[in-house]
Amino acid sequence: MTDPDHDIEQALAALRPLAPGLAVTARLACELDAPASRRGAIIAWSAGLASAAAALVAAFIFLGGVVESEAPHYQLVRVEQSRPDVQFFRPVQMDDGSFARPVRVRWQDTTRWEDARSNTRLINYRPNDQLTLLPLETN
Amino acid sequence: MHDAHSGQDWRAWFAEHGARLRLIARQWTRCEADADDVLQEAFVRFWKHQRHLPGNPNALVVTSVRRAALDLLRRGDRRAAREKVVGDDMDTVTWFEPETDPRLAALADSLKLLPAEQREVVVLKVWGGLTFDEIGEQLSISPNTAASRWRYAMEALRKHITARTHD
Repeated sequence: MTDPDHDIEQALAALRPLAPGLAVTARLACELDAPASRRGAIIAWSAGLASAAAALVAAFIFLGGVVESEAPHYQLVRVEQSRPDVQFFRPVQMDDGSFARPVRVRWQDTTRWEDARSNTRLINYRPNDQLTLLPLETN
Repeated sequence: MHDAHSGQDWRAWFAEHGARLRLIARQWTRCEADADDVLQEAFVRFWKHQRHLPGNPNALVVTSVRRAALDLLRRGDRRAAREKVVGDDMDTVTWFEPETDPRLAALADSLKLLPAEQREVVVLKVWGGLTFDEIGEQLSISPNTAASRWRYAMEALRKHITARTHD
């Protein structure tokens, strides 16, 4: 006799989850490839040294002495358009006596750029909302 | 610090386990982009702070994924309106590679119909490779509750796919 739960579990295990996107893999590769010496130096900072360094950095920024680093180079990594949300309203009568049905369509566009070197991202999120009238034919 | 996995190629490890980890992240997030962000953050956190620890890294990475997902949810208040909309893709975006076997395709669809508390137990057990004890620790529930949710989920999945295959 077979265990039905076991059958379902076996079938679930046969499903193949989607792999992470290329952008994730690329960003992880950047993290894992970062120079070990830099990571080691960061980890090795004691609390006292860290606070002293932070105070120095704060003073430097306050005095305007910070040197502008190289500008990030953003690359487009994702463009998404959400599923539209469509609402139909009751038909209305137009000035010329004809009928039309108002329809409201809402969706979002999201565009994302990333700079792998500085690990920063720009996200442009734009909601869209359009109201249109669909002419109705009456007999 | 002694590195218990000094010979481990973490890139290869991620290549092998990335897909199932992303599924775990996906079921705790509202959209594909958030799942990618959570996965990246979780794996980097693990790799920086916990990869030296002895034992199987799997449970540590899964814990890291859950923490990153919860952090994202906490930060999410200011994007609530956006998430309300993109959250709708839970029903429409596939989590799996396309299946030609209709029973497997039905099962993939049915998984998304489960209540979230049952689905997370299923995902953690099947793709997280966790025991009920470990799932209980992850979700702050007892192992018995985890096992009970699993049984309900199996029953629901069986009903869903039976109904689908008889349509």
